[in-house]
Amino acid sequence: MTAAADLLPATRNALSLLLLSMADDEFVIGFSDSEWTGIAPLLEEDVAMSSLAQDEIGHAQALYRLLAEVVDDGCDADAWAYDRPPDGYYHARLLDHPRGDWADTIVRRYLYDTADAVRLEALAGSTFEPLRDLVGKLRREERYHVMHVTTWFERLASATGEPRRRVLDALERMGPDAGTVLTPLPTELALDMAGILDAPMSELEARWRASLAPAFGALDLPVLPPTHDPGTSRTAHSDAFRRLHAEFTSVRWIDPGAIW
Amino acid sequence: MSRISERTLEPWEVFRREKEGDPMRHGGSVMAPDAVLAVHYARELYGRRQESAALWVVRRADIHDLSDPDLLQPPLDRSFKKPGGYVMRDKLAAARERSGADTPRPKSARGPRAATDTP
Repeated sequence: MTAAADLLPATRNALSLLLLSMADDEFVIGFSDSEWTGIAPLLEEDVAMSSLAQDEIGHAQALYRLLAEVVDDGCDADAWAYDRPPDGYYHARLLDHPRGDWADTIVRRYLYDTADAVRLEALAGSTFEPLRDLVGKLRREERYHVMHVTTWFERLASATGEPRRRVLDALERMGPDAGTVLTPLPTELALDMAGILDAPMSELEARWRASLAPAFGALDLPVLPPTHDPGTSRTAHSDAFRRLHAEFTSVRWIDPGAIW
Repeated sequence: MSRISERTLEPWEVFRREKEGDPMRHGGSVMAPDAVLAVHYARELYGRRQESAALWVVRRADIHDLSDPDLLQPPLDRSFKKPGGYVMRDKLAAARERSGADTPRPKSARGPRAATDTP
């Protein structure tokens, strides 16, 4: 399938929700991580984290564009990105955790990027060509993101004293929300039937948890708990997200519709 | 992480190949605590805009430096070691005329021992 018009209405609806969840995930983590610009632990890392954050915004833009094509209701990518109230966003609750300290950011990014990698892998053979092509490009960049964050996660977790203590603390707070990236979507059966996603989200979550087990074992970290309240995994956002939303929409709302 | 001690950071030199076939050229340096992060940072500072086809990252401490002016810039006249004084321009022009080429061949087509026409 090469065009949204070829899809059954139920498939199109389910695909929209999947694209919205992925785009919002990338958009929110991108904006949140961009808060390190200027204050990262060292200059080189400042450039690295800012560039990773920018990559995520770029991925969000590509996903919002595809979403706009699939929904085809006249909203463009910018309207999807900026013109919704906080409760209209559909990102995973893991990303509702604020930037926090460096360990919080690394733990949040590690949990997100490893889960996102499993999700992208499950879409790599999608029957919907525009998504398959985009996922192929996203995976090439996300490979580096996983390398970068794994380096930091492993060195903070295997250090003694403060770095490890902060990682354990962040895992305790974010652990119950870690699985929200792969919580089943209400309409995902249609994606499965159309061959857009290669397995149900519950199986992707099991793959992701299994993929983390060796690293968590080697680093002597506690096993992640099951997802807390999966029914609201992508709704009911935190006050921290409301503040972030006010920030990232502020320029757009100074003069709605302005062009640069 | 509150602070990364200055003591653990050291400079790494970054060499980059702009495109296939080009030589490695020095690009600059990054500060990093070890090779893994040095490679990450080299990628971010010298490759994230697709401006490099390959990078080499070398610990500055592993570079053997030679900058002794007695060895490199001896004070006595060594002009006799330079190929100056042999004016090639006229010979080259004559050779080109014989071969029918009115302009020098493009750089990529020149042989390794391309003649110089600088006196």
